[in-house]
Amino acid sequence: MSYYPARINEHFLNPRNVGEVEDADAVGEKGSFTCGALLRLSLKIDARTQKITDAKFKATGCGFLIANASVLTETIKDLGVGHAARLPESAIADWFGGLPRNRTLCARLCREALHAALANYHAATREEWTGEEALICTCFCVSEKSIESAIKTRSLRSVEQVTRACNAGGGCGSCRPLIEEILDDHWRNLFLEEINAE
Amino acid sequence: MREIVYLDNNATTRVAPEVRDAMQPYLAELYGNPSSAHTFGRELRRSVELAREQVAHLLNAADAQEIVFTSCGSESDNWALRGALELQSDRRHIITTRVEHEAVRNLCALLEQSGYEVTWLDVDEEGLLDLEELRSALRPETAIVSVMLANNETGVLFPIEEIGRIVREHSEALFHVDGVQAIGKIPIDLGNSHVDLFALSGHKFHAPKGVGALYIRSGLRLAPFIVGGGQERGRRAGTEAVPYIVALGAASELARNFRGHETIRRLRDQLEDTILQTIPNTRLNGTRERGKRLPNTANISFEYLEGESILAHLDEAGICVSTGSACNADSHVSSAVLRAMNVPYTTAQGSIRFSLGRYNKESEIDYTLSLLPGIINQLAEMSPYELKKVSHGGTGTQG
Repeated sequence: MSYYPARINEHFLNPRNVGEVEDADAVGEKGSFTCGALLRLSLKIDARTQKITDAKFKATGCGFLIANASVLTETIKDLGVGHAARLPESAIADWFGGLPRNRTLCARLCREALHAALANYHAATREEWTGEEALICTCFCVSEKSIESAIKTRSLRSVEQVTRACNAGGGCGSCRPLIEEILDDHWRNLFLEEINAE
Repeated sequence: MREIVYLDNNATTRVAPEVRDAMQPYLAELYGNPSSAHTFGRELRRSVELAREQVAHLLNAADAQEIVFTSCGSESDNWALRGALELQSDRRHIITTRVEHEAVRNLCALLEQSGYEVTWLDVDEEGLLDLEELRSALRPETAIVSVMLANNETGVLFPIEEIGRIVREHSEALFHVDGVQAIGKIPIDLGNSHVDLFALSGHKFHAPKGVGALYIRSGLRLAPFIVGGGQERGRRAGTEAVPYIVALGAASELARNFRGHETIRRLRDQLEDTILQTIPNTRLNGTRERGKRLPNTANISFEYLEGESILAHLDEAGICVSTGSACNADSHVSSAVLRAMNVPYTTAQGSIRFSLGRYNKESEIDYTLSLLPGIINQLAEMSPYELKKVSHGGTGTQG
């Protein structure tokens, strides 16, 4: 018997990927005043493939947090940023065969740190974007034009439909308000065009 | 079961073999009821009365009848407070401290909700009271002053003799002392004090769990907390838990004759000094003045680390300690005692309490000290805060 459940204990005692990635492309930090934990995640991302090539963490917190962060870094390595951002909160918990109800905060903290890191990456990416069209969804590299065309050709009405059609907004979610705006603009313009035509 | 190093004697203690031997017959052939009319039962009355004398002796109470057996320390505390308030229904003011055990703290909070006025005495950063604050809080309508003798988390001692004098001189309030954490660890002399009520618990000094006692000064007629039969001279109903009462008596006898206090103190000092001197970012919680602390307790914060993760690592090595910060998202608040002492949040998070007892050996302290730096280093290396590392090679305090 150990203090933590066996699978948690194994990662708590031998955490993988502790440290900071050198020349990190993304850093995300999340703390909790509820439990006093602090987690910092640093990522190396391949700009061409949009894949996470390295992930490391530093944490102060309970064994559940340390084990969760350890498994998270293992899980997101080699994943595309979009895929990583879309990992459900339950992904890490499921790996451990579920978490006790009062420890779900640890899994949430990990996910929030990951999203913070990806948002940090995307803010930088949007700034550096030199393509012709505005890049909306950095997780899946979807431009404004692609989104507009999807809306038009398939008569999309909601962000969810846009995500299903072209992946945009399906990652970290930071671009969903932008997609909302594109949708509004499209349908408002169409409406005005129709009125004018009458 | 693997071997354990038990450094959590403020939580509970091992039942002493002497105590177990003493109670054994009462779990077997001596099963009578002390209240019975027949000789077989009545014989047990003598055992209960002997135990009463043994407890009274340990407390240096003037009269064995001042001791009433209860089920635990919390029952004793609850009875003392509620009983004292019932006795003086015209007085509705209570004085206590912010660092009491939950048995007193939560009860006082409850009484506050139900209309009593409670003065919560603050402690300073060392965990000590300002007795001037107590003096000025005393009023004619103060019914009871309830103060612990030794703090369960930090081991800080409150000067109950002086407090008792102040209470007597400046009020007509009753004086209750929660002595649960002190008994068996330091000498207690109620006969020459102004203490009216004193709560104790058996399992903190090598009796089993499930038995306690309340000292009630002669002449004080506290209404029974548990109403029923006429046991304990009508003061506490319920058939006497004879094996446990006998055990409490035996444990009292054992504690009175214990000569190893200096060994415990030496081991505690060794543990405490070595940690504070060789591990960076450590801080003692509670006064540095060792005369004002229990000789068995060291509460140390490993700053910027999480106490639970340290506890879990020690647990892995079979070492039992406790933390003021067991992580639990349901109710994760750092220790109320450390908060009352204004210990910074990131310091309180990493607090570990080591509490020694009569069975600890030097080799166990050495073992703990040999593992701790590695554990702290591993966690510090993982910490997102920039921390100094334990210096390797030598015992220097560098870093």
